[in-house]
Amino acid sequence: MYCRIEVKSDSATVVMKQFYVVPFSGLDTVSIARSLAQVADRDGDHVDAYLERCEEITLLPEGQSPGICVREQEGLALRLVRGKSSWIAARDRIDATSFESALRQASRTSPVVFYPLPEMTLRRFPRCVDVPELYAFSELLDRAILGLHAAFPYQLTLVRHRRWSQVIGTQLTAASQREFFYSCVIELPWARYGQVLPEIDEVAAQRLARGVQALFKASTAPPVEPREGPVVLGSSATAVLLHEVVAHALEADTLALGGAVSAARGVELGSKCLNVLDDPSGAPPGIDRAFDDEGEPVLRRWLLREGVVDQPLVDLYHSRGSESLIAGAARRDSRYSSPVPRSTFLEMLPGEESLEDLLKAADGGLYLPEASGGRLHPQSGSFTLDFPYARQIRSGGELGEFSSGCRVEGTVSAILSSIRGIGRSVETAGAGWCAKGGQKFAVFAAAPATQIDSVKVIG
Amino acid sequence: MDSAPVREAVRRLEADGFAAVEAYAKRGRSRKFELGPAGKLVTTSEEAGWAVRAGDQHSSFFAAGTGSIEAVEPDHQWPQGEGRPLRLPGPSVSRAWSPGSDLDAPMLVEHEALAMLESIRAELGREIPGAQLLRAVLEEGSSDSVISNSRGVHAKTKGRVATLYLEVAGSGRDNLTATRYLAVREARNFRCKSLVQHLANELFVRRDAKSGSRDRGEFLLASEVGVRLLEGLLPLLIGRDAVDVATRLEDRQGRIGSSLVTVVDDGGLAGGVLEAAVDGEGTPTKRMTLIEAGRYHQPLTPWWEASEKRLPSGCVGRASWRDLPKAGPTHLFLLPDPSVSVSSLVGAVSRGYYLLGCEGPGSFDLSEDRFSLPVWGFVLRQGKSVEPLSGSRLEGRIGALLRGIQAVGRDLMFAPLYGMIGCPSMLVTGVELRSVGS
Repeated sequence: MYCRIEVKSDSATVVMKQFYVVPFSGLDTVSIARSLAQVADRDGDHVDAYLERCEEITLLPEGQSPGICVREQEGLALRLVRGKSSWIAARDRIDATSFESALRQASRTSPVVFYPLPEMTLRRFPRCVDVPELYAFSELLDRAILGLHAAFPYQLTLVRHRRWSQVIGTQLTAASQREFFYSCVIELPWARYGQVLPEIDEVAAQRLARGVQALFKASTAPPVEPREGPVVLGSSATAVLLHEVVAHALEADTLALGGAVSAARGVELGSKCLNVLDDPSGAPPGIDRAFDDEGEPVLRRWLLREGVVDQPLVDLYHSRGSESLIAGAARRDSRYSSPVPRSTFLEMLPGEESLEDLLKAADGGLYLPEASGGRLHPQSGSFTLDFPYARQIRSGGELGEFSSGCRVEGTVSAILSSIRGIGRSVETAGAGWCAKGGQKFAVFAAAPATQIDSVKVIG
Repeated sequence: MDSAPVREAVRRLEADGFAAVEAYAKRGRSRKFELGPAGKLVTTSEEAGWAVRAGDQHSSFFAAGTGSIEAVEPDHQWPQGEGRPLRLPGPSVSRAWSPGSDLDAPMLVEHEALAMLESIRAELGREIPGAQLLRAVLEEGSSDSVISNSRGVHAKTKGRVATLYLEVAGSGRDNLTATRYLAVREARNFRCKSLVQHLANELFVRRDAKSGSRDRGEFLLASEVGVRLLEGLLPLLIGRDAVDVATRLEDRQGRIGSSLVTVVDDGGLAGGVLEAAVDGEGTPTKRMTLIEAGRYHQPLTPWWEASEKRLPSGCVGRASWRDLPKAGPTHLFLLPDPSVSVSSLVGAVSRGYYLLGCEGPGSFDLSEDRFSLPVWGFVLRQGKSVEPLSGSRLEGRIGALLRGIQAVGRDLMFAPLYGMIGCPSMLVTGVELRSVGS
C-alpha cells in the first residue's frame, strides 16, 4: 500500500499522479455479507454496507495560519431498504463493534443472535500528507498568469481530495472504488473563481490563468444588455449546461416527481445533433469508477441519443420493478447520506465544426466560455445558468469586447432544441460542484463548444 | 465527555516541540427523518471526531480525524507546518452558565418524527388540495465537545439543535414551489400547523398576485424579510472593513439608523439554538451591542482583532470538528420592542405594503449604498390587505432603509443562516418597490 507522486525536480511541472492503495484489505467480506443477509429477511429487502475512508488536504493562501489543513475520516453505514422505506445507521469508525451496533440500528431489531462478528481490522489509513504537487501548482499558476502579461493580487486555496469506498451486499461484493481529484478557489479583489480539476498540470494552470484574466477584464466591463438571441457556449460552459439541463433533468428522482420514470424513455428532448452519455468508467484516471455507490456496475449510459431520451440516471430504488431501467448511477457524498441518482462523467459527442464556424453562425450574439453555476427547477422544467463574463461576437465571428456577468434562462426542451452547432474539439474538465438535495459531489464532463440559436440572456 | 484525553493530546504535542497547541474533541448523535421522492428515509448517526491546531515559531497546521482523540497513535504523522505561526487565545473568566434541561431531553423517536412529517403533509393537503410535499427533512442532534490549549484554556460545552426543511409545490399548472428552513433546540417545538399555513399563504399569494408598479409608501416587513436584510448587512457588522463600511453609511449626526435600530449578538442567548458559555476556541461568549439606538458601536470582533476600542466578542464559531474556527455571528438580532404587536403595525399602515417573504436571494452593495430584495406580500390600504403582490423588488439605499425604520414589533424570530439571525417585524419608509422586470 503506497502512494507515489512524481514531481519534476524543478518543481515546475507536475508530471503525474499514481495511486496504489488497498485500504479495505483485511475485511472479511464473506462474514459481513452473511450478517447482512440475516437482516434481509423479507421479499424485496435490500441490505448493504458502505465503508469509506477519505482524506482532504488543503493548502491555504500564503501567509495564513494555519497554512495547511489535513482532514481524514473513515466510517461505515448500514442500510436496509424495505418497500418505500429506508433505514441507514452510520458510524465514525470501521470495526466489528460499530458494524454490529449499526446493523442492529438499521434493522431496528432488539438484540438477536448474529453470526460471529466479522473480521474488520483494517490497515492504517493510507497517510500521505506530503503534497508537493500542490506547492508546484501554485508556482505553475503564478507563471501562467505572468505568461499572459497580467499581474493582480489573488489568493489561491488548493485542495487534494482522495476517497476510497467499498460496498458489500448480501450476495455480491463490488470492488473497492477510489476517487482522486483536486479543487481550487481563487479569491480576487473583484470576484471569486472556483474549479474542480481532474489533474493539476500546466494545462490546468493555463486554463485557470485565462479564466482569472478574463474576470479581470470583465470587472470593469459594462453589463450585458438583456436580449434574446444566439450564444456560443465554450466547452467548460457546455459541461455545466449538460449537468444542469440534461443530467439533472434525467435523474430518476427528478423524473419521479412527474410520474413514472420509465415514461421518459423515447421522449424527444433536443436537437438530433445531441448525443450525451454518462460514462463513469471512461472518466480520466482518478475519477473513473467501475461500480457505483450501491455496488452496481456502472455503464456507458446514453442519456440522449440523437436528442431522444434513452436511459435515465437510475439507482436501485428507482430501477425496482422495471425491466427497462438500469441501475448503476447511484452516488452518495458520505456515509451519512442515502444514495441518489446522479451523473459522474458526462460526455457529449463532438460535431464537425470549429469554434470559428460556431462563432460565425452566432453573428451579433454572445460568447460564453465559462459558467459559474446553474439551477434546474424540476417542477417547471425551467433552468438558469450564470456566467461570470461574456464576450460580444462581431460580424464574421470575431470576438469583441468583454461584458460583465450575465444569466441565461429558459426551459430544458427549448434550449436543447435550439442547439444548432456542436464543435469538433472536446475538452475534459470539471463541471463544478453539484449540491442538489444537499449532497455535494464533484462532477466532470468532456464536452465541445456548442452554438445555440436563441436563448434569453439577462444582465 | 472526558476532558483528560484532550489535555493529554495537548501535552503530547507540546512534548513534540510545538509551542502553540490546541486540541478539540466532539461527540454527537443525530437522527434524520425524511419524506421525499425516494419514500421514507431514517438515518441515525453516531459521530466522533477530533481536531488539532499546532505550530512553532515559523508555521502551523490543522489536522482532524474521525474517532476519539485518545485513539490517535503516538507516532501519528502530523503534517509539515505551513503559513504563519499559530496564535491562540488565553484563558479568561466566562459567565456562569448551566446547560438547560432541554439539552438532555430525549430526541424524537422514529414514529413520532414520521408522524410529525405526515401531519405536515396532511395539513398541506387541507390548506391546498392537490399540493405536493416535495421534500420534508427533520433532523435532530446533540453533541458534547471539549477544547484545551497550551495557553491554559480548558472548556466543555454541549449543544442541541433540530432543523426542519420543507419544500412544497402548488396544485396548479403554475409550477410554484416554496421552501422553509428553520431551527429550534428541540424538534417538539416546531409549530407545524403555522409553518404549513405560511407556506400555503406564499403559494396562494404568488399564484394570484401581480407585480407592483414602482411605488413608495410604508412598508411593513415581516421578520422573514427583516432577517434577509440583516443577513445582507453582515459586512457592516463583522470583518476588518466593517468600520469603514459603517462610517460611509453614517449621516451628519453620526447615526447609521433610526433610534429604533439596536443590533446585538449574543452567543449565550438563553434558550438560543447555539447558546453556549464559550465559543469555538473556548473564549467566553458575550452579549455585544453592535449598533445602539442608531449609533454604530463596533463590529463583531474575534480576540485577535480586539483593541481598546474594539472589545473581543467571543464570536469564533466551529461548525464541526472538521472545520477551522471562524469568526461569525451566533445569535445576531435587531432588538424587538415588547410593547408593539404586529397587528398594531398592520393597522398603522394607511397606504403601503405588507411584505411577508422573499422570492430569492437579494443583492447588497454596501460600497454603493444600494440593496434589492425580491419580495412577496400584500398591498395594504388603511390597515387592510387589498390585493396580493409578487414579482417585485424592495429597493433603495441601505442608509435610507436603516434610518427609515419607524417601528419594530415584538415578534423576534430567528433563521438558521450564517449563525442564527433574528429580526422582528418592522415598519419602514424611504425605500421603494419596483417590479422585477423593470
